[in-house]
Amino acid sequence: MSVDLDQTPRSLLVCDQSSFLDEKNRVSSQVEQLHFNYKVSVLLPECSSTPSHLDSVLNSFSSFYLIRKLPIYELLDKHFLETSVYQGSVYGLSYRTRIDEDNCVALTPDGRLFLSLDKDSFQVLGVEGKPSRFNHRTNSRFVVSIDLTDSSMAPGGRSYQRLLTGLRSRLHLKTDFLLSHHPGGGASLQPLLSRYDWSEHRPEVSSHTLTHLSSPDLQSCDPHSFLEWLGAVDANISCENLSSSFLSSLVCPEPKTTLSRSLRVTICGMLLPQDVHRLIQEIRCYLEQPRLESWVSMTVHGFVDSPISWGVHEHGVLRGGENFYSLLLFHDHTYRLHLATGAHDTCPP
Amino acid sequence: MRRDDKKEESAVFQRVVLKNASPYHYMKVCLVLGDESTRLSAVELKHFIITGLKSLHGEVGAALPFDLLKYDEDTLTALLRVHSRGLVKLWSSLTLLGSYQSQACAFRVLQVSPFLLALTGNSRELQLDEGSASSSSG
Repeated sequence: MSVDLDQTPRSLLVCDQSSFLDEKNRVSSQVEQLHFNYKVSVLLPECSSTPSHLDSVLNSFSSFYLIRKLPIYELLDKHFLETSVYQGSVYGLSYRTRIDEDNCVALTPDGRLFLSLDKDSFQVLGVEGKPSRFNHRTNSRFVVSIDLTDSSMAPGGRSYQRLLTGLRSRLHLKTDFLLSHHPGGGASLQPLLSRYDWSEHRPEVSSHTLTHLSSPDLQSCDPHSFLEWLGAVDANISCENLSSSFLSSLVCPEPKTTLSRSLRVTICGMLLPQDVHRLIQEIRCYLEQPRLESWVSMTVHGFVDSPISWGVHEHGVLRGGENFYSLLLFHDHTYRLHLATGAHDTCPP
Repeated sequence: MRRDDKKEESAVFQRVVLKNASPYHYMKVCLVLGDESTRLSAVELKHFIITGLKSLHGEVGAALPFDLLKYDEDTLTALLRVHSRGLVKLWSSLTLLGSYQSQACAFRVLQVSPFLLALTGNSRELQLDEGSASSSSG
């Protein structure tokens, strides 16, 4: 029997095309549904320095906290639930845990706690859960999803006690944890932070000027070629190759133009969808003024090891765990949105 | 008729879902050598990978087209591009490459994706060191 070597695991690319003026455009909901964003990269063609408005938005991205060795049962602390979770908009994600080998935890702004556990931990915890969708042959990973705002999970209740005892006495799940709060920052998180070793971090902004950049014709370029070109720009890969070159035959898709001076701005950290949304609005304002080039591209990468992506759908890593979207905005308020996922993921919204 | 409506048309919501349509796959790999002082140029690295393809998949394998998009000589880290059909062949030959000029070596595959863009935003690279922390308490 021969094995088919040509097959590759599933990947999905969703291409949306619409206008911000269309009432039915869903960009804001799509942006909000990717809860845990790791990196945003903006490409401004024919621009030599970051426009001040854009710069101030980038520098006002919410800061986030890293708590070292946080016992997960602390997230069930009554005071924390009342001051932060019930009010909405707490984002939490375990840090430096890999979803293909470790236990991962996520807390979404709507007050839901997601635990992605290996089989042993799941059985020790003793709380209801489901086998992961991405188990292969044997059930080796389980997902526990708990709505902390549900009345059955009120502090003191039976389900609450069961989960608390499971996390505190049986599983002893401890992990470095990233935490962010919107709006208002850390005031309501202080009591929790003060009990552990913590640090505050600001998202890191960096910019890079690109000269003589070849750019494809955006109207005729197919989505995969466009994303490849954008990836080459972000990774500093030269597209100036000959088809006969030994090392690389990567070229900018034809027809192409040359942009004399472009700017790539990136911001890294744990970024909130609300901040990304503000950035989109600011880019739209930027595009309203007459420019040499009438487009801007923005790419948002999600966390690879988040237990959920695209809303609250289960997410996993098979080879890459990529979940990102790339928004191409034009001055006439039309946009093109490319949402991409790897094998262990659901279809983007 | 259609031309007159062009403005209207462009505002209409359109959604296309492409499944497994990526023509290429991209790999981020790192070469680990027994003797860490050894340096390879980009051309030498590509030639080395081709010899690996040849020893595992023969002459046909050696003819598999792939690109070395980027290479960092200091960290021996490279970005490769290969047609999706050739991914398994390239990956398997990288795995089985065990010696470079009679010293032990191994390729670490750091990331594989059908999107080059995904390789520029890997959250596993997020480093939150003490140095960048603005406040801390015990």
